[in-house]
Amino acid sequence: MAAPMELSCWGGDWGLPSLHPESLTVMAYAKFSGAPLTVNTINNSWRAPKGDVPALISEDTVVSQPAKILNFLRKQKYNADYQLSAKQGADTLAYIALLEEKLLPALLHTFWIEAENYCSVTKPWFASRIAFPLSLYLPGKMSREALNRIMLTRGGPPLYSLTEVEAQIYRDAKECLNLLSKRLGTSQFFFGDTPTTLDAFVFGFLAPIYKVCFPRVQLQEHLKQLPNLCRFCDDILNCYFRLTVSGHSPSGQDTADANLQKLTQLVNKESNLIEKMDDNLRKSPQHPPRKLTTLKLAAGGEESSSMNRLSP
Amino acid sequence: TAAEPWPENAALYQQLKDEQILLSDNASSLAVQAFLQMCNLPIRVVCRANAEYMSPSGKLPFIHVGNQVVSELGPIVQFVKAKGHSLSDGLDEVQKAEMKAYMELVNNMLLTAELYLQWCDDATVEEITHPRYGSPYPWPLNRILSYQKQWEVRRKMKAIGWGGKTLDQVLEDVDQCCQALSQRLGTQPYFFNKQPTELDALVFGHLFTILTTQLITDELSEKVKNYSNLTAFCRRIEQQYFGGHDKDSSATVMARSAKRSLLR
Repeated sequence: MAAPMELSCWGGDWGLPSLHPESLTVMAYAKFSGAPLTVNTINNSWRAPKGDVPALISEDTVVSQPAKILNFLRKQKYNADYQLSAKQGADTLAYIALLEEKLLPALLHTFWIEAENYCSVTKPWFASRIAFPLSLYLPGKMSREALNRIMLTRGGPPLYSLTEVEAQIYRDAKECLNLLSKRLGTSQFFFGDTPTTLDAFVFGFLAPIYKVCFPRVQLQEHLKQLPNLCRFCDDILNCYFRLTVSGHSPSGQDTADANLQKLTQLVNKESNLIEKMDDNLRKSPQHPPRKLTTLKLAAGGEESSSMNRLSP
Repeated sequence: TAAEPWPENAALYQQLKDEQILLSDNASSLAVQAFLQMCNLPIRVVCRANAEYMSPSGKLPFIHVGNQVVSELGPIVQFVKAKGHSLSDGLDEVQKAEMKAYMELVNNMLLTAELYLQWCDDATVEEITHPRYGSPYPWPLNRILSYQKQWEVRRKMKAIGWGGKTLDQVLEDVDQCCQALSQRLGTQPYFFNKQPTELDALVFGHLFTILTTQLITDELSEKVKNYSNLTAFCRRIEQQYFGGHDKDSSATVMARSAKRSLLR
């Protein structure tokens, strides 16, 4: 049994478990891979967010940054990418790079730099969750960091002013959303029927755009014109987070959720045993050991139905 | 719609090849040259010490075609497309999305790693970057320009979260990127099977430059050499688009120096 793990991250609203894209990515991945995480949302207590958020605390180690946290979870055998081939793993890296280069600047802008959005929504929300007097300083710092990042990476000549940069980054973000929509097509997740790392990252970036109610919403309006991406976010929220619109999670569905988690953990453990028997499988394109184990777990049902089929 | 045909005297500007140009700029320049060769558009390479300041975006390379100046691979691909030449027309929508994603991967990981190595690794900065970057200029201008550029690059690295990385972590990232490219390429001749696209040009530009540039250590090129299909890919493109053609003198020089180091 793995040591209990704690995730420290920003909380949620508007039907989301978290408003912060990176926190959301980690939470989604944990749900997909069945990792048992206790989520501690940052609130008004004196334990102010130190260093990077989100941060995973396991025994004595503190891991920050989504990529490192996901790596850590994978090493603990919570792997959502079991059934991916080598090429699909490569595609995952490429699409994550696309998200960071083309979508993230506009996302940061919508939250932290667009004046109306920042003053009426973002700043009050974050300030209400941080203890005074840090609440006077931290949101401003996050806003300045966002502006810095955008201007340094996208603000070179011939774009000199913020308005020109804004136009370019929103163009890029809309193109990125279109590309994601084309790639997703009609499938449920990006690589078939089970969610993977890429789904966690896309969800982490898209859900805040989709759900948070801002005064200035050009990106949200564009996203709403891509119904398959909206359906993708809603599916994940309904299946994995089970939050109603008001943001409360009914207790009855909690036990169902816990059972689903236990089942996923059992399945993971079984596949780990098989994996240990042949180490080479880890390097080459993944065969689907999970399929074998689900057959085994549902042995009673499967066998009887197959016997029925054999003897008409 | 093509406005005017491609002129004979189209020129690509970069820094001085032997004394001044750095790894990342050389890679970007080679990528554009490969792309234009793949489109069968003639271009001659012009080396100028102040190329960086002539560029409309401050980044290299830039091309001067007719009376227009366009810099960086992305805008150059768009510009060439407007003139009626394109390598990616045969791709469907999902493939185009994939191609763009992989190009971002190369920019996000490989190019950033090259910039990190040449501006944030103190040993490389002292021995290679500072002497080369300011070499056309007299003291103290050469030092001032070099420090100014270093400060700029370090600020950017910090903003995107690479400021705290160690060289080993950066090399890990390079390895991860090469592994992804190698897995995506597989046994195909090009990334989208039979025909090269701008992605092939970009990957070639970076990998070939990494393989053939002498740095303090071989750690960076070793990461690429670990993947035999990537080195074969570079050799194939070099032979097909740069070797054996006498029309561009710089291309043959590159081919000769490449043969010296690749075949070692």
